[in-house]
Amino acid sequence: MKTNIGVVFGGRSVEHEISVISALQAINAIDKNKYNVIPIYINKAGKWLTGDVLLEVETYKSEEKINKECTEIIIDTHSNNFNLYKKTLWSLKLIASVDVVFPVIHGSNGEDGTLQGFLELKNIPYVGSNVLSSSTGMDKIVMKMILKESGLPVVDYLWFYDKEWHTNKQEILKKINKLAYPLIVKPSNLGSSVGITTAKNEEELESAVELAGEFSNRILVEKLVSDLQEINCSVIGNSDKQNASVCEEPLKSGDILSYNDKYTTKGGNSKGMSSAKRQIPAQIAPELTKQIQELAKQTFKVLNSGGVARIDFLINKKDNTVYVNEINSIPGSLSFYLWEASDMDFAMLTSELIELALKQNREKENYMVSYNQNIFSLNTNSLKLGKG
Amino acid sequence: MEQIVVIVSFLALFAFIHAKLQYELHMMQLNSYRNKRYYRWLRKYLFEQKRVVELIFCIIIALVFFTKINYATVITVIVLYSFLSYSYFSKKQKKPLVYTKRAKRLYVALWILTLTPIIVTAVFLGVSEKTALIGCGIIVFSFLIIGFANIILQPVEKKINNWYYKDAQRILKQMPELLIIGITGSYGKTSTKHFLHRILSEKYNVLMTPGSFNTTMGVIRTIREYLKPTHQVFIVEMGAKQIGDIKEICDLVNPKYGILTAVGEQHLETFKTIENVQKTKFELIDSLPPDGLGILNADYEYIRNKKVDNCKTLYYSTQTTESDYSVANIKYSKKGAAFNILQKTDNIGEFETKLLGDYNLSNILASVILAGHLKVDLENISYAIKKMVPVQHRMEIKKNNNGITIIDDAFNSNPVGAKMALNVLKNIEGTRKIIITPGMIELADKQDFYNRIFGKQISDACDYVVLVGKQITQPIYEGLVETGYKTENIYIAQNFTEASQHISKFVKSGDVILYENDLPDTYEK
Repeated sequence: MKTNIGVVFGGRSVEHEISVISALQAINAIDKNKYNVIPIYINKAGKWLTGDVLLEVETYKSEEKINKECTEIIIDTHSNNFNLYKKTLWSLKLIASVDVVFPVIHGSNGEDGTLQGFLELKNIPYVGSNVLSSSTGMDKIVMKMILKESGLPVVDYLWFYDKEWHTNKQEILKKINKLAYPLIVKPSNLGSSVGITTAKNEEELESAVELAGEFSNRILVEKLVSDLQEINCSVIGNSDKQNASVCEEPLKSGDILSYNDKYTTKGGNSKGMSSAKRQIPAQIAPELTKQIQELAKQTFKVLNSGGVARIDFLINKKDNTVYVNEINSIPGSLSFYLWEASDMDFAMLTSELIELALKQNREKENYMVSYNQNIFSLNTNSLKLGKG
Repeated sequence: MEQIVVIVSFLALFAFIHAKLQYELHMMQLNSYRNKRYYRWLRKYLFEQKRVVELIFCIIIALVFFTKINYATVITVIVLYSFLSYSYFSKKQKKPLVYTKRAKRLYVALWILTLTPIIVTAVFLGVSEKTALIGCGIIVFSFLIIGFANIILQPVEKKINNWYYKDAQRILKQMPELLIIGITGSYGKTSTKHFLHRILSEKYNVLMTPGSFNTTMGVIRTIREYLKPTHQVFIVEMGAKQIGDIKEICDLVNPKYGILTAVGEQHLETFKTIENVQKTKFELIDSLPPDGLGILNADYEYIRNKKVDNCKTLYYSTQTTESDYSVANIKYSKKGAAFNILQKTDNIGEFETKLLGDYNLSNILASVILAGHLKVDLENISYAIKKMVPVQHRMEIKKNNNGITIIDDAFNSNPVGAKMALNVLKNIEGTRKIIITPGMIELADKQDFYNRIFGKQISDACDYVVLVGKQITQPIYEGLVETGYKTENIYIAQNFTEASQHISKFVKSGDVILYENDLPDTYEK
C-alpha cells in the first residue's frame, strides 16, 4: 500500500507560477515506489482542483483547459483525515484520501501559516514549518525582532506603519536619518524581492517607501550592507536536529537580486529558482562557510522551523561581517540544487521531508490533551457562570 | 372512540415490546452476542425484581382482558404498559447500547419473531383483545426470543465476519514491511501497549489497537479503519476469555514480536484453571516465527516454568536480577520513580518516570527491551519514559478543585493490581483514605477467597470503606470484620451513584479517594 501524498501548489500569491514550477519539480522527484502523488492545484481565484493534466507544464498555459479537465475538490470539516470529494448530482463522491500534505506554495496564503492553520485544524501530517514558524518567517519585521532578541546578527533596522508615514512623516524621517544612508526599504510580508528598493538619499527613500506601501501596511527600513556579498544556505530538519547544505552565491545584476534575476532570466521561467544564475558552492573561505552553516542552523531552530528552508545571508566582504537576512520556509525549487551538491538527491530530499512531517505529527499527538471531559456535565455546584 | 382506545393500547404494548427487546439486546451486546455467556448471566438475574414485577403485571393484564373489557380496564392496561416501558427508558446506562449494524440486524430479527405469532393469530382469529394478550404473553419470554434470534442469525453473522476477516488480511498483505507486535497477559497489557507506543513513536509511525479493541473483531476493525500506509509498526493487544482466542488473532496478524506480561487468575469463570490461562496466553509466543522474539515476564511462575523453543526469548523481572533484564535501585518519591535497568549485571542506564507502582515499572521494562531491540536510541527511550502519563482509569491520579485527590483505578479488577493500588493509597499524603469498590469479579470459585483477602488489605490502608453492592461485596465485608475493622466506617451502597452521593456528604480538602474497579451494567441492578 503506497502513501498518498497531496502536493498543494499554485495559490493566491504573486509567486503563483513559481510555485507551479517548484511543485512540478517536486512531484517529478518523489519516489513513486513508495508514494502515490495527488496534485492539488489552487488557482488564482482560490479554487482547489485536481487531475492528471496538472502534471504537465503545458496545461498551465490555458486556464480554460484546467477548468475543463480538472475536478474541483471539496474538503469536509472532519479531523484526522484529508479526504478529497467531488460533487456529483446527488452527493459527494470520494476521489482520494491523502495521508500527508506537501505544501509547495510560495508567499501569501501558503507559506505564511494560513494553509498550515487549515492543515492543523484537519490534524493531518504536513511537510514543512508549522503555523507559528511559517508566519514569523514570512514577516520580515517580526522575524528580525526574534532573531535580534536571540542574539543572531541582523542589520540595524526600524519599522513603521504605512499610515504613520503619511500622517507623521517628519518624525519617521528623523529616526530614519539616524540609521544613515544608504538604506534599503522593504514591505514586511512579501518574498521574492517584490517591492524592495534601495535609497541613497531622502528623495529616493520617499519613493521607495511609497512603493513598499503598495504591498504592505508595515514597512521595514534597513541599513544597506556595503561591499555586499549574498550567500544562501539551506537547512533541513526540526527543532531537535538540523543539517545545513553547502552554500551558494546568487549572482546579481543590480544592487539587489531582483524578481527578474531570480525567476525570469533566460529561457522564460520554466525552471524556476534552480535556473537562476548562481555559484555552487560559493567561493568563500571554509571558516566563513562553517560560520554561515552554523548561523543557518541556529536561525532555523530559533524560528521553530521544520522541513526544508533556505536562509539568506548578507556579508560585508571587507571585514567578513555576516548578517542573517531572511528565511524562506518553502524555498524556490525546495533548494534541491543545494542538496544535490550536498549528496542528497531530490528524491531523497522529498522522502526525508515526508518522514519529518510524520515525525512532527507524532510529536504533536504526544502532547495532545483530552477534550473528553465535558465541564457542563459535571455534577458540581462549583460551576458558576460569570465568575472567572 | 372505542377504536382509538384500542389503538392506543396497542401502541402502549408495542412501546413496551420495544423497551423490553432493546433491553435484552443491550444485555446480549454486553455479553458479546454469545448465548452461553448471556444465559450464564441470566441464571443469576432471571428472578430479579424487574422480571417478577413484569410477570405479575402481565398476569394482571391477562385477567383484565378475560374478565371484562371496558374503558376502565383498557386504560388500566395502557397505564400498566406505560409504567413498564418507562421503567426501562428512565434507567441511566453506564455503557449504553450501541446500534451497530449487527445490533440493528438482531433488533429487526427480534421484532419479526415477536410479531409473527401475533399476526398469525390475528389472521386466523381476527383482531381482538386476544391478539394483544398473545403479545403480552410472548414478551415475558423475551430472553428466549433473543437466544433464538441469535441462533438464526449466526450463519449470516459468520459470513459477514468472514468477509471482514478476509479484507483485513488483504490489507495486511499489502504492507509486508509492517512490524507487528502482539501483547497479551492477564494484567498489564493495556498499560504496556501505551508505554510501548509512546517509546516507539520516538522513531516509528506506530498504530496500536485503540481502547479495549482486543478481540479478533476489534483487531479487524482497527486494521480496516485506522491502519494507514504510513504506519511502520502495529501493536496488537490480544485479550482472551477462552482457549483459542489469542491463536485466532495471531493467525490473522502473524506477529513477529510478542510480549507476555502476566499469567494470573483472571476470567476463571471461563478458563476454569490457571493451566488453561497459561496455555491460552502462550498461544501468542507459540505463534512467533523462528526469527521472532518473545519478551516474557519472569515474575510469574506460570511464565517461568514453560519452555519456549520456537523463537528467541528474553525474560524480564522486577524482583530478581537473574533474568535477562531487570530493574534495580528503585527510588519512589512524590514525583514518581527513578530506577536503573540492568541487562544481566550491566547497567544500561538510569530512568525516571512520573508513574507509580511496581507493576508499571515492569510494563515499562518490557517496552524498553523491545524498543532497544528495534533500535530506538537510549536517549530517546529515556525521554519517552519521562514523558509517559498513566493510562485512563489505570492508577490515574487526579486532584480536583476542592483539594480532594482521586486515584482512578476503575479499569482494574485483579488481585495483584488491587493490592498495589492499596499500597499507593497507603503511602500517598492525605488526611483520610477512602476506598469505593465493588470488589473483584470473574474469578469463579476463587472470587470469594480473593475478595476476603482484599478486605483484609483494605483494613490496613483505608480510614473509610464504601462497598458497592451488598451481595457481591459480602466477602470483603467479612475480611474487614475479621481484622477488627470498625463497622461504623463501612458503608454499603447499592450502586456507584449512591456511593458518590454518600461520600460527597463528608469529604473534605486533603482526603484521598480510591476508585478500585468498576462493574459493567450486567452486574448492577
